[in-house]
Amino acid sequence: MFIHNFKYALKTLFRNKMLIFWTFAFPIILGTFFNMAFSDIEKSEKLDIIDIAIVETDEFKNNEIFKESFKELSNKKNKDRLFNTKYVEESEAKELLKSNKITGYLLLKDTPKVVVTTSGINETILKYVTEEIKQTEKIVENLAQSEIKKEVEKKNYNIDYDQIYNKVLEITKDSDANIKNITSHNLSYTMIEFYTLIAMACLYGGILGMVAINQNLANMSSNGKRVSVAPTSKGKLILSSVLASYITQLIGIFLLFIYTIFALKVDYGNNLALVILLATVGSFAGLSLGVAVACLFKANDNVKTGIVISITMFGCFLSGMMGITMKYIIDKNIPIINKLNPANMITDGFYSLYYYDTLDRFYFNVVSLLIFAFLMIAISMFSLRRQKYDSI
Amino acid sequence: MKNVIEVKNLTKEYKELKAVDNLSFAVQEGEILGLLGPNGSGKSTTINCILSLLNFSEGSIKIFGKEMKPDAYDIKKDIGVVFQDVAVFEELSVYDNIDYFCGLYIKDKRVRKKYVEEAIQLVGLEEFKNFFPKKLSGGLLRRLNIACGIAHKPKLIFLDEPTVAVDPQSRNNILDGIKMLRDRGATIIYTTHYMEEVEILCDRVIILDKGKIIASGTNAEVKALASIEEKVSVEAIDLDKKYIDEIKKFKNVDEVIYNNNILFIRYKKGKNNLDTLLDYLKEEHIKYNKIYSERPTLNDVFLELTGKELRD
Repeated sequence: MFIHNFKYALKTLFRNKMLIFWTFAFPIILGTFFNMAFSDIEKSEKLDIIDIAIVETDEFKNNEIFKESFKELSNKKNKDRLFNTKYVEESEAKELLKSNKITGYLLLKDTPKVVVTTSGINETILKYVTEEIKQTEKIVENLAQSEIKKEVEKKNYNIDYDQIYNKVLEITKDSDANIKNITSHNLSYTMIEFYTLIAMACLYGGILGMVAINQNLANMSSNGKRVSVAPTSKGKLILSSVLASYITQLIGIFLLFIYTIFALKVDYGNNLALVILLATVGSFAGLSLGVAVACLFKANDNVKTGIVISITMFGCFLSGMMGITMKYIIDKNIPIINKLNPANMITDGFYSLYYYDTLDRFYFNVVSLLIFAFLMIAISMFSLRRQKYDSI
Repeated sequence: MKNVIEVKNLTKEYKELKAVDNLSFAVQEGEILGLLGPNGSGKSTTINCILSLLNFSEGSIKIFGKEMKPDAYDIKKDIGVVFQDVAVFEELSVYDNIDYFCGLYIKDKRVRKKYVEEAIQLVGLEEFKNFFPKKLSGGLLRRLNIACGIAHKPKLIFLDEPTVAVDPQSRNNILDGIKMLRDRGATIIYTTHYMEEVEILCDRVIILDKGKIIASGTNAEVKALASIEEKVSVEAIDLDKKYIDEIKKFKNVDEVIYNNNILFIRYKKGKNNLDTLLDYLKEEHIKYNKIYSERPTLNDVFLELTGKELRD
């Protein structure tokens, strides 16, 4: 029975033109447009090094992390360097900005402040890098405090602060907070777009999940009524249909990868296995979202499809699909939204895989997606437990 | 004969509306029971309750002597349902649709293949088995809907208005198919608001209104509930009012209407009504073109009992 239903579920999914468009064709079409629209930007970005200024305050001079990070990111020996940095007085920085000679400047007093006049890609990159360094600084501070605490607990009051500082730097050297790898080569605007595209494709699996549920519930469709009077367990039917949806979704994602890698020449980095792992988990999260929408909303297929597409597109918008600035704004001002946004979990997972040497942030996103998926399924199960309905 | 279905005191409420009100009836093995009633009378709700798709407030339902529950698979395996709405997959061919639904009941592929072919033959879709539903006319689609519900050769079949909006050819085909199912020994519950179908097919009738049984029995028993015996229509051009007044005074006449050159006379129970009328027309040299005599239909019974037409 399981195989019988699975076979026919696959057959119906692959012959459903609307589903095939949204899950297979639409991401490929959108990817092609992204490639056409952003390839020029990408080329010019690679050539352009961003002109910035740093106000040489005492705080900056004494802040090793900021000083070293910007020094590394502006190192002329590095052909992929991100910044061309001028170290100036505040008044001069203002002048440079006013005369459009720099994108923006960094003013480090009590807190680091990035001053820009417009909002564009370069401005966003400067803000983003500053934010990343700030995070690194926080981590270093916390680690240092913890090291000092350990020494105090050992009743060693002759603390060698230089030694602790070096120890902390050693710890953070290989951590995900290490932003020294950020260069104009790998800080790619287009890559973020492709990450959100894959996130969108994964979440579009929700439409497939929704169909799997609708076809099997008596209160959702005529076919569901017919299936419900058959001597077959609802669990078996739903599980086989959802599995067929998941496999269809994975085939769609696989085709998208093939297309973007071979036709659009997108470089997903060296960790292709992890990229696939994230896409697989992301698709599962997308599927579970569709299952939950199907179970919780009593509406026709078109309305539910609209709900899934709206959630997906809005999630992708917040995670930077229509402009990386949005991801930065949300991360900075309302981080909880992106922590709960499955599109951002997928985008951020790819992002961390591409930009960071370690996998902590990547696995954090994978686990977050799994938690999201299981939460959606748990909510759905509650609704699916019903065997009879008040009205159909 | 043993009862295949036993419904006792079934009540189903939607908020303040009682869709089914303390309904009790039984269906015997091998019979076709017609469940009649206008839209909203509770026919489909009763069937959905019997099939354990809907919760109900009170009552009990037994099928094949066992309590019906959503997970009563041993009962469900012998039930076939043809719902009012066409329930097929647009993406599957006629053959695949029937094979899919049949496969939910029959595991053996060889047996299933045979059953599917037989179902296609029963509903006359041999020429269309590779067609997709979109390419089928309304009537053919209804036939496919029936084939999907009965391919597994169930002992008990629910047919919920299977002939709604179909062409006469498909309708005849469907009715012939239902007769064949009965001949094969199936027990059938047939809901409709088409009187003619009930009169052709059903052994027994239950008439529902507002969720209650207002009449039940064989066709003849139910028709006997009507106070009228006969309806006569005479096509007579420009009939003088004095003749109409005279006819109104005839024995057993209940009602006389003259409209659009048609004289319509309803008779209460009594004999030789038509003979008396013909004699009068001859004596008075009244010219007429056509004359029809009809027995009361189930619709007349329903009209008398509820004051409204079955198709209201």
